Amino acid sequence: MAVEYETHEHDVIVIGAGGAGLRAAIEAAAQGVSVGLVCKSLLGKAHTVMAEGGIAAALGNVWPEDNWQVHFRDTMRGGKMLNNWRMAQLHAQEAPERVLELERWGALFDRTKDGLILQRDFGGHRYARLAHVGDRTGLEMIRTLQYHAIHQGIDVYMECKVERLLRDGERIRGAFGYWRNTGAFVLFKAKAVVLATGGIGKIYEITSNSWEYTGDGHAAALWAGADLIDMEFVQFHPTGMVWPPSVRGIVVTEGVRGDGGTLRNNQGERFMFRYVPEFFKAETADNEAEADRWYEDKRNNRITPDLLPRDEVARAINAEVKAGRGSPHGGVFLDIGTRRPPDYIKKRLPSMYHQFKELAGVDITKETMEVGPTCHYVMGGVRVDADTTQSTVPGLFAAGEVAGGLHGSNRLGGNSLSDLLVFGRRAGLYAALYAKDLGGRVVVDTAQVEAIARELLEPFTRPWNENPYAIQAELQETMQDLVRIIRTESELRHALRKIDGLKDRAKKVRVEGGRTYNPGWHTALDLRSLLTVAECVTLAAIERKESRGGHTRDDYPKTEAEWGKENVVVRQKNGTIQIAREPLPEMPAELRRLFEEKK
Amino acid sequence: MPATVALAVARYRPEEEPAPTLQTYEVPFREDWVVLDALNYIKDRLDGSLSFRWSCRMGVCGSCGMKVNGTPVLTCAAFLSEHLPGPIRVEPLDYFPVVRDLVVDLSDFMRKLKKVKPWILREEEKPLAEGEYRQTPDQLDAYKQFSMCINCMLCYSACPIYGLEPSFIGPAAIALAQRYNMDSRDQGARERLEILSGYDGIWQCTFVGECTKVCPKNVDPAGAIQQYKLTSAVHWLKTLLPWGAR
Repeated sequence: MAVEYETHEHDVIVIGAGGAGLRAAIEAAAQGVSVGLVCKSLLGKAHTVMAEGGIAAALGNVWPEDNWQVHFRDTMRGGKMLNNWRMAQLHAQEAPERVLELERWGALFDRTKDGLILQRDFGGHRYARLAHVGDRTGLEMIRTLQYHAIHQGIDVYMECKVERLLRDGERIRGAFGYWRNTGAFVLFKAKAVVLATGGIGKIYEITSNSWEYTGDGHAAALWAGADLIDMEFVQFHPTGMVWPPSVRGIVVTEGVRGDGGTLRNNQGERFMFRYVPEFFKAETADNEAEADRWYEDKRNNRITPDLLPRDEVARAINAEVKAGRGSPHGGVFLDIGTRRPPDYIKKRLPSMYHQFKELAGVDITKETMEVGPTCHYVMGGVRVDADTTQSTVPGLFAAGEVAGGLHGSNRLGGNSLSDLLVFGRRAGLYAALYAKDLGGRVVVDTAQVEAIARELLEPFTRPWNENPYAIQAELQETMQDLVRIIRTESELRHALRKIDGLKDRAKKVRVEGGRTYNPGWHTALDLRSLLTVAECVTLAAIERKESRGGHTRDDYPKTEAEWGKENVVVRQKNGTIQIAREPLPEMPAELRRLFEEKK
Repeated sequence: MPATVALAVARYRPEEEPAPTLQTYEVPFREDWVVLDALNYIKDRLDGSLSFRWSCRMGVCGSCGMKVNGTPVLTCAAFLSEHLPGPIRVEPLDYFPVVRDLVVDLSDFMRKLKKVKPWILREEEKPLAEGEYRQTPDQLDAYKQFSMCINCMLCYSACPIYGLEPSFIGPAAIALAQRYNMDSRDQGARERLEILSGYDGIWQCTFVGECTKVCPKNVDPAGAIQQYKLTSAVHWLKTLLPWGAR
């Protein structure tokens, strides 16, 4: 029986309409090719909208000493030197121009006294570097990009979920998916595809990520033959809300600490001073007076340990709670109320003020917040060429969270929004150039398409009765309990066995009702990518036998120099996931010098 | 406090039934739960076919707008405890076609959004190398409030004018136009004049003010509309002047 589907054809298809996808679509359209922008939710609702703190860019508006070399150095050190150096260089060099461009397109920024874009302090950044508007920077960024894209007349396919990428033996040929509204199938024929699908946070129980973050792009790329790298590195944001339970995991912006907030345990101690690793000792304040002076005078003081990179802070909080020095609900205390005046807090952190007031009944200008780690970001992703963002599959490009490499083993706050702009633009540009070079018509194998369509419909007719929500919930528990901030081989192997069991059960999922906006069916289809990325994370975590950034092994607690030269690569061959260790690109001598001078 | 609370949820499955019906579910009552938590409980545990939109849980994405006991709200900010004893009635937003259950079709708004040209319009652009356009705190204050809109559509659902006259461009779109009109970097006010002052624009509004009451971000669309009416009237008066003061 033939399966019905509609067909659309574009030079470039962009999958995902958060910051990276929108920026890619804008750039590709500016190159004069035909662009289709496909997104799973309504336009303007993507995960970028939730970003709070700001966009890292060495504009030098607040501290003229700042420049791309300092930003580059901070980014590499934050990632424990596992970053792709070329991506980190391009990112630091181009971020200021991308921010200015956003300002040109109408983005509202908080300003300095002179009317320049104001910049705020954030973890791991030597200087106040984050361009921002209050604590709702993501909202402003996505609106600006969204309206700019609408202005350009880009074709947008909203609430349309891509399930598979299509390729022939040689290269990418398009994508196949369905309309969430009607359940009808859609075929996109395209010369180039840009993946901008974001992250994988929904494999965890406690996460800041929205329902959309089911790893669709990571999984689709893997199935299409692309390499993934660094999948073991998952970022737990140190300060998620822990109470009440219904809001557990929602992020409390690092801007709270950037604007003067400090972490305390239940003894009232500012415990971060005890957790400064050797790697950051020389550049971090070792007493409270110096740390507090640093906010005003960065020339003569070292940065507060409250603003160490996120992996360090998350591990420290984890250790304090484990040692019995935590807050009543299993976190620690974050205090800004005793450190800054109420008016300042409300002006700088309006959303945080309202979030705690409304959701937790806490007045942060008077009371401390309870916070703890929450799954926030995946550093790993599609392996790309630094300059063009092209994956190992010709015609497949990736930008933003779905791409790997820029952040190494740990991402600095603020470097995500700038990543979206810098590499979103590059992805759109090089995808357009690729499409222009590629002659001829795009031919898609209809048998391949029909086979996928039939597979997607299977959950309606299976003779079993597994519940898709129950499987997703069990996967989240498994990852939360066994592939944690602190990991060990036995628990990781246990997780792998559980994932295998869930994969078998996922094949027996049955859903009721029709195809019109059917959430049970949507979840049934998401399971395949959720389980795939969970397996990738776990396998990569088993492989890396050291501790670094967002990957801490109880059984291998040291950071090993040898491992600092290798990525763990995940790829699929003949239907099974394979793991390899491959060398990192080597940094040229003139950049290496930036790290030697300050020793 | 009760152990459970009843939710009467609007169900509509277009392939199966001609009109929406209310279906009642009993969910655990918890002090910290919002209506969205209860809906997710229903979807995950009681009835996997219940459809609704949501995303961020923190009041910034604007996806989860519905009517709770008749009032348009973000369900991620509507506590069950504020609506006791129940049953709590949950329905899709008014004046938009229902796709299924609590999901409505927002394409009308997407079209209107484009009409008000929500982007910076300038006669000339200075090169990026010359840095940003400077803005003083006063210049920011002139439009900041109107920039807070999260496109949640509560204001359309609350607007009786939009209910009667679907071509009315509506509160959020007008506030958005005003956001750009009041931006010191923008020179496009004249281009937006036609749509805003035209038949479907601001003069439809009889200043009911419901839009401002339901806005979860204090954007004050009603204020934007009043502000623009004044601008538009002044502009119209000027067109009458013989010496071309335009």
